[in-house]
Amino acid sequence: MDTTTELRKFSANLDSLEQIREFLTGLAIKLGLDKGRTYKLCLAVDEIATNIINYGYLKSGITDGMIYVMLRSGKEMLTVIIEDTAIPFNPFENKIPGEDELALPLEERPIGGLGIMLAKENVDEFRYEFENGKNRNIFCVNLR
Amino acid sequence: MSFSVKSEVNENVAVITITGALDSSTAPQLHEEVQKIIQLNPTELVLNVENLDFMASAGLRVIIFAKQKLGSAVKLFLVKPQEQVVETLRMTGLLFSVTIVDKYPE
Repeated sequence: MDTTTELRKFSANLDSLEQIREFLTGLAIKLGLDKGRTYKLCLAVDEIATNIINYGYLKSGITDGMIYVMLRSGKEMLTVIIEDTAIPFNPFENKIPGEDELALPLEERPIGGLGIMLAKENVDEFRYEFENGKNRNIFCVNLR
Repeated sequence: MSFSVKSEVNENVAVITITGALDSSTAPQLHEEVQKIIQLNPTELVLNVENLDFMASAGLRVIIFAKQKLGSAVKLFLVKPQEQVVETLRMTGLLFSVTIVDKYPE
């Protein structure tokens, strides 16, 4: 079958964010994803990778953590899987700002939850699993 | 494009030019610049973002922070944001709180 899989690991520090975006952009463009949807995929992944680096590993007390980024593409779908070994963090248990909060003027708005919201809204499907001591965040983009 | 942030204040108008990618690694630099600007009590804040290629929620939080510190009387302009940046602002409801222009002064 026409399936491509690419895996790369990155150090869990903020300097890796740009490298992860470059890795994803290079492959997504090659697979024919347009600029707008490539950007959205990068944004979704960036938000979750940021959480893993800033909260997951920090709270675990792990200083040399890694983030594994796997990109798999078939005919219908592009899937990005991110794995880490930090503390379990389920993004779906995080409170997302509701419509009423988003409509508030910026001066009155609580800060927070925006990142996870952007992760969910910018791909066709977003899932989370915890298995064998690993967090697994899965992002799917339909190719047709 | 590598990240840079530059600011100037003229006659109470603060202009910050942001280039490159605004993510969690670079947003602290913008935050610092915004904090300096707040001390000067500008009447308008102009973000020149024509060459801002990427903006994550860390960047949104700095915009929210600026707006909250400056208060609703200080207008916030975004000059020539890229389409994807506008889309992110729309998705998060921030579009209502900023004024998008092609150039400043209009």
